Amino acid sequence: MKTPFVAFDVKSLIKELGEINTKLIKGAEALTEIDEIDVGATPKELVYEEDKLKLYRYQQAGEITCRTPVLIVYALVNRQYMLDLQPDRSMVRNLLQHGLDVFIIDWGYPTKADMYLTLDDYINGYLSTCIDVVREASQSERINLMGICQGGTFSAIYAALYPEKVQNLVTLVAPFDFSTNDGLLFNWSKYLNVDALVESYRIVPGDFLNGGFLMLMPFSLNIRKYVDMLDVMEDKEKFLNFLRMEKWIFDSPGQAGECLRQFIKDCYRENKLVKGELRVGDRLVDLKNITMPLLNIYASADHLVPPAATKPLNDLVGTDDKTLYEFKGGHIGVFVGSKSQKELAPAISKWLHARPGQGPRPTTNSEQQTVAAEAGQAILQEASSRKPAVSKRGTSR
Amino acid sequence: MENTRDYFDAWLKAQEKLFGGFVENTKRAQQLFFGQATPQGAGEASGFQNPFSSWTAAFLNSLVETGDSHRHAIKHGLSKLLGGSNAYVKLYEMWLPLMKAAQEKSLNTDSYKDFADPAKYKDLIDHIFGFDPDAVKLMLNQAAQVLELSTGSAQRFTKPWAEAARESMNVLPQFAEGHPESFMKMFHSMFNAFDSTFGRVFHVPPVGKDREKIELLLRSFDDLSVYAVKNTEYQHTMYVTGLTAMEKVVATLAEKIKSGEEIKQFDEFFDLWIDVSERAYFALFQTEAFAKLQGELLDAALNVRSHFFKLMEMHLYDLPIALRSEMDDLYKTLYELKKKVRKLEAQLREVNP
Repeated sequence: MKTPFVAFDVKSLIKELGEINTKLIKGAEALTEIDEIDVGATPKELVYEEDKLKLYRYQQAGEITCRTPVLIVYALVNRQYMLDLQPDRSMVRNLLQHGLDVFIIDWGYPTKADMYLTLDDYINGYLSTCIDVVREASQSERINLMGICQGGTFSAIYAALYPEKVQNLVTLVAPFDFSTNDGLLFNWSKYLNVDALVESYRIVPGDFLNGGFLMLMPFSLNIRKYVDMLDVMEDKEKFLNFLRMEKWIFDSPGQAGECLRQFIKDCYRENKLVKGELRVGDRLVDLKNITMPLLNIYASADHLVPPAATKPLNDLVGTDDKTLYEFKGGHIGVFVGSKSQKELAPAISKWLHARPGQGPRPTTNSEQQTVAAEAGQAILQEASSRKPAVSKRGTSR
Repeated sequence: MENTRDYFDAWLKAQEKLFGGFVENTKRAQQLFFGQATPQGAGEASGFQNPFSSWTAAFLNSLVETGDSHRHAIKHGLSKLLGGSNAYVKLYEMWLPLMKAAQEKSLNTDSYKDFADPAKYKDLIDHIFGFDPDAVKLMLNQAAQVLELSTGSAQRFTKPWAEAARESMNVLPQFAEGHPESFMKMFHSMFNAFDSTFGRVFHVPPVGKDREKIELLLRSFDDLSVYAVKNTEYQHTMYVTGLTAMEKVVATLAEKIKSGEEIKQFDEFFDLWIDVSERAYFALFQTEAFAKLQGELLDAALNVRSHFFKLMEMHLYDLPIALRSEMDDLYKTLYELKKKVRKLEAQLREVNP
């Protein structure tokens, strides 16, 4: 038998610890040289805003080869710039390069003034208005709706309520069937006193939800990640990539209490969406009304939204043109992994292009941008009390 | 970059401290390897953690000393990053007695208990799950301040509670050492505190306009004690799971050594520890019992929060400021008005497309 630890002498012990310190020193030097952690660099134009919400259209430098515009609807949890984290990890940039006309909703950071917002306000209000702006801007009767995570649930609900406005529905890692016990969040939510939570906070802090996400893999996310980080700190670019992801993870908007209350009770607890019992405002949501083509993407190793929560949608919709797509990876990998860049965005683009009536638009890009701004302006003039001016810009927070 | 000179002066100081730490570290390492000491019970600036701790503390301070707001932002980012490394070094310290035992060929799960320092492991788990052992004590102190405002008799009233909190916190390491019976100490100390404070109050019915306030205070203290107990139960579950996982790590390690495998680097131990611990906690988190306990803990915490908010409102009522409930009303009105406007606009669009 070999003698264990024979090579682990004082010298190597000191060396190992010394290496940690050296890496930290170099990393700290790299950190002092970083002025800003830039995210969401793809150029975009603000076309509409209402309360905290902003609707952007990305600038399309090339030819639009798919005439129906795509509206990306992200979750209320975390921020939409995950789709455009950095140039080489940007699903948005990828979709643009494939000839799509891309819009995105930034839900903003709710304050206590937003605490009474409900699912009805988000879906029949904000989302519905944004879709009308996109329809007018692109002069399309219908749009391609692409919902992500909770934004996918919202998009499916919208598509079921207003099928006449949705040409194609794409959902990514979105929960629909909440009866599963596969995900810890699904199990934990059963014992969450959401009434007390909302009563106490009004706007439930993003940190509260983040704490729950970190608990899903406490050792990997609280220790290993930072220890592994020591190996990339010396390389400024790699370190910046790490910091961008860190920024996104901890950039968590609070949740409007009433909306969260309804989402947890009606969806997580009572699973009303798949039972056909969910009411949004005064309307009942029937997933059978989803008669447009559906591309439903799930991640095989998703620990936040397990496949069991995503896949059932295909059995509940009314359309025959439905595709279930398995992405081999985790929840976050769907957006930023290199595999995602190579595989997923092209697949979405290909699927959309292959649907009926998706050829190029007759107008030029500059004409389309002008129409977009005018459409936003027109809707804003009608709803002047909602928003001061389309040109109003500023920081998101 | 502003204040560059100050910054690098401070940086230099940090480097000096670092090298000082290295010298000390080398001495300690030699002592350890020649069997003259084990790092049990070492504090934050002791043992192998010394150079790391002194370096991180000095470095972070050097960033603050320059007074530049940009430095503060860097400090914030860096301290978060260093936090992960700090846990790594804490584990490193725990690893040392194991290594010593392995050298003496006496490594097994039973002998590990003789070497391991549960308090140190508790620190590690606290770090991973963000537990703050002083949080309940802090809350009690805040509660005491509220009470002081109300009754002017805080000293006598809150002392037993502060004592109870301190005792409860002292009990925690015993849980970690695997003495579940010590859990009862928590209840006893809380009961004693209750008996010597509220117990007395209950014999003297409060009268006049302060009655409501006093009743709410009593409820708040009651909520706080429920929270403290639930929190202890929760943390106990976490520590026990962690210690069980650690035993499994040691057993796996002992097995590997027995079969002739060499484990030369700490990183191998680290990987094994992360892997086994993650699995152990995942299994725990999946149970209904844990989900229920977590729900109860949150509920208890929210009860405390909500009663303290009510208390605060009572105390602020006479001041010329808008209270939370008043702002809630205002927000509600604003929300309803916006909805009405939107509805009217939609109707207008239908009439006048």
